[in-house]
This record gives sequence, structure tokens and C-alpha cells, in this order.
Amino acid sequence: MNAPTPALVARPERLRLVGQRRQILAVLHQRLMFGLIVYGVIIALIVCRLLWLAAFGDHAGRRGMVSALIPPRGDIVDRDGQPLASSIDVWSIALQPTKVIGDKLELARNLAKLMPEKDEASYFAMIRSGKPFFYLRRRASPQLVEAINALGEPGMALERTPDRLYPQTSLAAHVLGFTDIDGHGAAGVERAFDKRLSDPATRGEPLTLSISSKVQQALEHELNTAMTEFSAIGAAGVVMDIHTGEVLAMTSLPTLNPNVAGQGSPEARFNRATLGVYELGSTFKPFTVGMAMDLGIVKSMGQMYNCPKEFHYGKVIVHDTHPYGRACSVAEIMMESSNIGTAQIALQVGAARQREFLTKMGFMAPVAIELRERGRTLTPGNDWGEIATMTVGYGHGIAVTPLHLATGYATLFNGGVYHPATILKVDKIHPVGPAHRVFTEETSYKSRALLRLVVMKGTGKNADAPGYRIGGKTGTAEKIVGGHYTSASVVTTFAGVFPMEEPRYVIIAMLDDPKPTPKTYGFHTAGWNVAPLVGRAVSRIAPMLGVRPDMHRDANMSEVLPFVHEKEK
Amino acid sequence: MSVRSFRPVVSVATVAVAALGCYLVSLRVAAERAGLEEVENRIVLAQRDIRTLQTEIGTRGRLEQLERWNVKVLALSAPKADQFVDGGYQLARLARPSDEIDMTAPVVLAAAPKPAPARPISDDDADVAANSSVQSQPAPASPQHAAPRNGSAASMMHVASYSPSNSPTAAAAAAAPKISPKPAGQPAATTKPVKIATAARQAPLPSAKHDAKASGQPVKSGTTRDKANH
Repeated sequence: MNAPTPALVARPERLRLVGQRRQILAVLHQRLMFGLIVYGVIIALIVCRLLWLAAFGDHAGRRGMVSALIPPRGDIVDRDGQPLASSIDVWSIALQPTKVIGDKLELARNLAKLMPEKDEASYFAMIRSGKPFFYLRRRASPQLVEAINALGEPGMALERTPDRLYPQTSLAAHVLGFTDIDGHGAAGVERAFDKRLSDPATRGEPLTLSISSKVQQALEHELNTAMTEFSAIGAAGVVMDIHTGEVLAMTSLPTLNPNVAGQGSPEARFNRATLGVYELGSTFKPFTVGMAMDLGIVKSMGQMYNCPKEFHYGKVIVHDTHPYGRACSVAEIMMESSNIGTAQIALQVGAARQREFLTKMGFMAPVAIELRERGRTLTPGNDWGEIATMTVGYGHGIAVTPLHLATGYATLFNGGVYHPATILKVDKIHPVGPAHRVFTEETSYKSRALLRLVVMKGTGKNADAPGYRIGGKTGTAEKIVGGHYTSASVVTTFAGVFPMEEPRYVIIAMLDDPKPTPKTYGFHTAGWNVAPLVGRAVSRIAPMLGVRPDMHRDANMSEVLPFVHEKEK
Repeated sequence: MSVRSFRPVVSVATVAVAALGCYLVSLRVAAERAGLEEVENRIVLAQRDIRTLQTEIGTRGRLEQLERWNVKVLALSAPKADQFVDGGYQLARLARPSDEIDMTAPVVLAAAPKPAPARPISDDDADVAANSSVQSQPAPASPQHAAPRNGSAASMMHVASYSPSNSPTAAAAAAAPKISPKPAGQPAATTKPVKIATAARQAPLPSAKHDAKASGQPVKSGTTRDKANH
């Protein structure tokens, strides 16, 4: 209708104008179209996004997805799953002096009332110091937090921070160790497995130790009782599974509370079981006899040695606490812990072979365990002559940790195979460590009766827990005070194995400098202080470990009893 | 015609309804998912609470604390070797009553001949009882002859629980006068008496078992007694 008719012929300029308008219109249309498309696309995008969000999107009130509870630091549990260390959220109270707006003196007064560990003046000084931040209290009680909150002071910062809690307090403190203020391990398992415990990938799973808290508690309690009774300056104890090398209990006294590790003295933080090295005395004798049996030097428990009252060798004179003054059999040497007899056996073994055996048993290197607190052993080194061989034979001149001794006894009594000690529970994830043979099976078997004899008739009589078939060896080593050995100060040790007819566990107890008491008739040798403690501890521990007491079973004592000269009564 | 002109409207309405339906479904799904998350969140929170509480319980009941209480108050000590028992039999032995000699206990035989069906078992017992010199005091004559059979279940109950019961004795006594005229040589058929009258009170009483059989009572109580006495 509005289309130009052919009759209405425009003038050329008008025609030109029409052509221009058309062009402009076309361009306009083009641009309009383009803009439309752009807007359309944008709207489509928005609509698509909206639909997408409607279909698959999150809702507004959605919180961060927490599918499982992953603690800020991995838990540590014992072999039965009892928590030994866990992380909890605690309230910490801090002061931010720059944000204080109320009456500063009033605030200082209130703080001194609520937290009396500092007085009003020092709180006031803190508030006026102009420093940005003070921690006033970590692990504050909820009541205190409430009271601080009620002050309504913006300068008081209350926050929940993760903190490490050891629910069993001082139990197995040296095994667990403790963390520093940043939550990183500073000692013990916390330090050795710091990466495993703090890595988000692995910390969800608790770290299972080989420690059994019940056994640990029994050992700690008995050691502590004995330490108090004999006024010893320290004590250490180890219970170990001899077939796997799992440490079931390990303690060092005096102990510390890892919850407040900073309050412990350096003495208390020192792990005597793995870091402290001691001359452990006669407890080495079974090793010497074992070596000699392995090498075919001692062929029978009845083999006789000359045991005079004093034994002169070069410049050295060896004494016995229970001198025989006659010829004595190997069984008797062990029973009454004769240094003289053992020295002669050690001489027969010789320095090189003795050293080789001790190396295979791991006595020349820091003890094999995951903990970082491992003491370097002291050995005669290059000075390993005949004298050293003799003294090492009865446990002097070589200083090792109690855990070394436990590993050594485990090696001798599990059939002669060395396993490194481990603090982790042995299971599918964590198999037994690499093993190698040290003693023959026969040596291991014969040693059982020998050790049982010590407890039945010898120096370790007080360690006998009826029915539990304990075998063991006492050791009393003189301490070096001012460069000289002195009999006034000793380290007494008892290394026990039970049940002796089928050894399963080894227990080591050590007292550092026990004093004689009227009850021990003035003695301070191992038979009078650590041996009874081991007897008591075993009668508590063994039932927990599934060792049934049985009065009718025992090691094959016919191996040794014929060679013991009974005193006529 | 009118239908055709409404077709676009209808189709638009259909699409709108379908879209709305889809939206509602997705809304529903989202709501469900949110609910699920809420539950999961609550589970995690509950786990955290459990952890906190367990930590608290563990800390309050720590072994050191228990040990301290034990030392101060309870004074429990580790069991001695002789406090362990080998099994159920040894345990049952511990519950054994004291070995009192019951002079009135019935005399029973290890190998009694099978009784004639017409004759009650108690008669056999009574034979021995009458012949045994241990039964010193004359048994009181009991009026009811079939006492064990009438009250047999009750008597068995008594025997099984080891409580003293004189009903078998009474039965024997009741039978005694009846048998006594018989010659003394007759019970020689019942050979060696293993359990004599001095038998302990808790000794098995086969007579009661016989009673049970003879009187057609369930033997159950007899078997339990057997177990207990082995």
C-alpha cells in the first residue's frame, strides 16, 4: 500500500536520497540485529545458568560439605584402640591491647581477678604496652571463657584453637612425646611420625602403636613403686613381644605430663629406655654363654670352669659377689652370676667373634626403633683387647640402652632371630621388620633352662611369680662417679623372659642408683630391688597378655639341674 | 477452527507446564539433597561430640587415676596362679559343699540288679539299708508306702540341689519292715556296695534316678545331676 508506485516518479536527487536511506536503514537493521543477537545470547546464557542452578545448583543455606571428621592432627591409639593422643578444640584467651576501648585499669583489675596467675599491675602494663597480641591462657575452662566474654571488652579475643590432648596424661609419655606450640611433634612418636600425623591424606586414620596401655600402666606403676621404695634417681622398663619386636610397654621415670610438657624438667624429658645408655652388667652373661654355645665352646651346661675366689688376668682382678672358690659348671656360673667364670668363657669366644655377635644383635649401633631419641652405644671400640672382651662378657665396658637389651634377649630367646624393635602394631599394613639369624635354634632352646635356673635357684629368686615360669638374669653394674667405678652407686637391671618353656615376652626393668633399705638387708643388688618388681609386674602383665599361669609346666630343667651342686643342709 | 486458533496457546501452556514440572522436580531433588547434607552434617557434628565425650571419659577414667583409687581404696591385686581354673569342672569343684558325713544317707550299690517290674526300686535300696550296719538308728516308720513315687519329682529336685532330703531315707525306711523278714543271704546277688552309707551328701544318688525311671518321670533332672556330679 505504501510502496512507491511506478507512476510516482521521483526526481533523481530524491532517488539518490531514497537509495541512501535504504543503505542507512540496512546498516541500522544490521546493527540492531547484531545488538539483538548479543542481548539474546546474554539472556540465553543467564537463563541457561539459572536453569542449571535450579536443576543442579546449591541452595543458599548450604554449608561446606564435611563428609567425614578429619582431625587437625591424627590420633594416636594403642594396640587395642584406646586413644593415647587426640586433638581437641580448646578455648584460648588472648588480649589485643590496641583494640581495648573500655577502662584499662578496670579491665586489668577484672583480669587479675579471673586469672590470678598475673597481678593487676602486669595486666595493666600489658594493656598499655601497645603491642598487638598477647596470649593470656590456652586451654581455658568454659567458665572462664564465659566470664571473660561477659566483660564485653572487644580487646579480649576468644577463639577456639586445636590443641593436643593426651587423655592418659603421663602414661607412655616418652613413647608418645609431645608437640610444640605450633602443633608439630617435638619428641617421641609425635616427632617420628610428624608427617604422617599432620598430612591431611593420612591423618584421618589413627596411628596404631604397639603399646598396650594396660601393660604400660602396670609396668609404670610397679617401676614407680620400686623407684620410690629404693629412692632411685630414675628407672626404665620395656616389655616386648619377642617374635615380632613389638614394644608393648616402654617407660622412663621420672616421667612428665605431655599435656604440659614445658613444665617437665630436662631429667623428666630424658628417655632412659632408648636414649640413655648404661652398663647393664651381668644381664650380658646369657649372651656370652649363648655365643660360646653357638661356637661350640660350651658343649654342655655341665662344662666345668675354674672359679677361684679371685681371678687374675694381666693387671685385672675379677671378683665375684658369690664366690665359689672351686670348679663350677656353666649352669652354676649363670645361677650365681659368676664374673670369673663368664670372663673365662668370653676369653674363649674372643674379641672378634664377640664383636661380630654384638654387631648382629644391633648393640654397636643406635637401637633400631622408629623414635628419634636413640642413644649412641659406648663400646670398647678400637681398644677391644682381651680385657675388654672379658669385661664385655659380663656387661661392663659396654653401655647400651635398655631397649637394646630387650632386643638382645628377644633375639636369644625367640629361636635366635634378630628383629628390629618397633613401636607400631605389627599387622597387614606394618609387617615385622627385616630379620636375620644370630644364634642357632638349639642355643636358644638351651638358654631357656639356664635363665629359668637363675630365677628358680640363683640370684633372681625374688623375681619368681609362681606359675608364670619367669626366667631371667639380674645385673648390678657399678656406676662411674668422678671417673671411677664405685660400689656405692649402681645401676640394677633385670632382664626377664616368660613363659620360659615357650618364650613369648621379654621384660626389662632398670633402676638407676637404688639405695639399700632395711627390707633388703642392706643390699642394693638387682636381686633385691628390681627382681621383686619384675615378679610383681609379670604377675599383673602376663594374664593381660594371655599367658595362663600353670604350676605344672616349666622349661626343661633336666638340661641344667644335674650340673648344680646343691648345698648340703 | 477455534481449536486451531488456540493451538499455539495450548502448546505454550503445555511447554510452560512441562517446564514448571521439571522445575518442581529439580526443586524437590535439591531439597532432598539439602536435607541429606543436613543429616550428614549432623552426623559429623555428633561424631565430634562423641569424640569430645569419649576424650572426657577417657581422661577422667584414665588408668593412672584408676590405679590411684585402687591403691588408696580398693586394694585389688593381680590374681595368683592358683586363682585360675582350668575349666568348668574345676570351677564347679570350687562350689562343692563341705564333706560332711551324713549318717542318714541312703546306701546305694554300684551294681544293682535290674529290679523286677512289680517290685519298687526302693525295696532294693532298702535291702542294703537294712543289711548295712552303718544304718544304726532305726528308721522311723513312715505311713505312706509309695512316698518316693508320690513326691518323686520333688525329691529329685532336692537331690539335684544337694539340699538334705530325707525322703529317700524315708522310702527306704518304709520299705524296711516289709523286707526284713527275708533271709539275709538274699541280697548277696547285689554284689559289692561301692557307695556305703557314709557317702557324702553330694554323692550321686542312683536310687533317685531309678525312681525317676521307674515312676516314668522325666529323666532330665537326673541328667543334669549327673553333669553336676562328674
